[in-house]
Amino acid sequence: MKAKLIAQLKSWEFILLILVVVTLVLAAAVVPGFTQPFSISTALATFAPAALMALPMALLVIVRDIDISVASIAGLSSVAGGLAIQAGQSLPVVIIVALLAGVLCGAINGFFVALLGLPALLVTLGTLALFRGLCYVLLGGTPISPVPDFFAALGNNNIPGLIVPWAIVPFLVLSVVFAVVLHRGTVGRRIYAIGGNPDTAHYSGIHVTRIRFVLFTISGVVAALAGLINIGITSQIAPDGALGVELDVITVAFLGGVSVLGGKGRITGVFLASVLIMTLRKSLQLENVSGYTQGIAVGGVLILSLLVTNLFQQLIGSVRNRRKSALGSGPSPA
Amino acid sequence: MNRIFKSATLGGATILAFSLTACASATTPDASGTGQAGGKCVTGPVKVGIIPKLGTDPYMVTVKKAAEAAAAKDGSTVIYTSPSDATGAAQIPFVNQLISQNVNAIMISGSDLNSTSAALAKAKAAGIKVVSWDSDIAPESRGFFLNQADTSKIGDQMLMSMAKMMNNEGEFAILSSTQTAVNQNAWIASIKAKLAKDPAYAKMKLVTVAYGEEKADVNAQKAKELVQAYPKLKGIIVPAGIGLPAAAEALTQSGDLGRVKISGLAPVTLISQYIKTGNVQAVWWNVGNLGTLAFNTAKMYAQCKIEPKEGTSYTVDGLGKFTVGADGVVLLGEPTIVTPENLTSFPF
Repeated sequence: MKAKLIAQLKSWEFILLILVVVTLVLAAAVVPGFTQPFSISTALATFAPAALMALPMALLVIVRDIDISVASIAGLSSVAGGLAIQAGQSLPVVIIVALLAGVLCGAINGFFVALLGLPALLVTLGTLALFRGLCYVLLGGTPISPVPDFFAALGNNNIPGLIVPWAIVPFLVLSVVFAVVLHRGTVGRRIYAIGGNPDTAHYSGIHVTRIRFVLFTISGVVAALAGLINIGITSQIAPDGALGVELDVITVAFLGGVSVLGGKGRITGVFLASVLIMTLRKSLQLENVSGYTQGIAVGGVLILSLLVTNLFQQLIGSVRNRRKSALGSGPSPA
Repeated sequence: MNRIFKSATLGGATILAFSLTACASATTPDASGTGQAGGKCVTGPVKVGIIPKLGTDPYMVTVKKAAEAAAAKDGSTVIYTSPSDATGAAQIPFVNQLISQNVNAIMISGSDLNSTSAALAKAKAAGIKVVSWDSDIAPESRGFFLNQADTSKIGDQMLMSMAKMMNNEGEFAILSSTQTAVNQNAWIASIKAKLAKDPAYAKMKLVTVAYGEEKADVNAQKAKELVQAYPKLKGIIVPAGIGLPAAAEALTQSGDLGRVKISGLAPVTLISQYIKTGNVQAVWWNVGNLGTLAFNTAKMYAQCKIEPKEGTSYTVDGLGKFTVGADGVVLLGEPTIVTPENLTSFPF
């Protein structure tokens, strides 16, 4: 028990938790207006699409893939939903069309990466431009507005009686789902196995291709969900919907402790990293820091988190190795 | 201790920490909960937030400086924000920021019509008055729109400027942008109509309309060709921001500028060196005045001294009297002809 406790104190999630608490306390003390319910609920709502897309992003990075086209998928699926609105379809049909568009976009990424074996970074860089281009081709320059009231409520209203906006609810629910799948089920163990060593995983009978393909489609459908929330936040369906959000998404995933080398990372970390980046953004915002400087800050955090998590893992690794060789013990439990 | 439990604990702790900070806010006003539309009126100095399309755009910065100067007169405050993308979505966090900071009014140049409408509805619910300037947003999201220039007047002004430089007599040409440019064609049509009707222009003759295709080198070439093709040419009207500086430079090089005068439409900073020679004039508007007008309108709106109703009129120090048109639109006025005499009052 004591050894487990020590191990936990040394975990990246624990350090993140301390960082989150320190940042929150600092922000509450130093940033005027940060503790206003209005500030908190708008911080949560504005960051919801990015936080949401960071969950499947974490799984993709764990299996050594990445999807930098997520923001374009969010944009394109909301455009697909918008075309359904223009065609006079009912709300459930609009939502289904948007989600299906997300699935399709994800499947296209998955086809090229998992089935054809092309590099994920380059394929999704291509689809980032391709899906965004389609937004403009399908919709033209004129945004669709007004949108059904459902979206306005989803993007802007709080749960009655709480300061929690509806927009963050999908993230809260999916955090739990993703945590259970990744940390409790066989699928989760297979995902880590692929990230640890794809060849070993393949020879152990894991359907590596199938899992990677499915993860891309999940990334697509979750991006579509984020796109639906974004419709509500912006009160319109525009070809530039969710443009540039991938920076926050990828930063959250890596800051959460997901390793570039694959095989490592936990949903708890992603959750905490979301809170951290959200607090950072809102604090800078309330300090009237320009959008340019916010970009510098988030970009800096991304580089810093890569550096720190890398060093941190090396440090932990060397301590473990020394102890192992000193004790001459067998393989430690995972 | 299993991992799910650990995750849940960590997550729970974060949410708890977050709600604790929320609880500490009992004393700060809840922006989303207070007041209804037009709820509060400010007496005395006001706090105005400005949201430009892009924080660093010189046009927007000129407006900021003018608003700050106007605010300094009575101790009002200006919060100038800086979105880094010229998209409506990028402006939303800045609207929310200004609501949290309890401003009395928001001045916004909309990057698109609708993106900020939900956020601005919350501002309205918090008793914040909204005016748009430079680029309008959906009318239901704001009270006033401060429009910089009546575009229909620009053609007449360019002709008037040209007429003065050539003493209302002789041949002149037009070097437009493209054959399909909507604004330019409207201005050319109104110039032709004025020439036909107005006796003041009876001795002036429009010899041809050429097109510079929005390219500096094409404009330069066409300007030189016009001067050679029409030896008696006394002037060229260039109603395009890229064409005017290019034509002025080309005729300076060929030594024709002076014999041939140039008028047109372009940001003054791009052509101020040519205006100083007295041979070039431009039709432009005073961007600083737009800032002064927008700030004072926002201030008086927040003080409940004016409402965006058609026919309402009010006076702004140094600028004169303004009357609200349909849909809450207020016009800064006619575009001004920039000459060497008034050049210094056009920093943009």
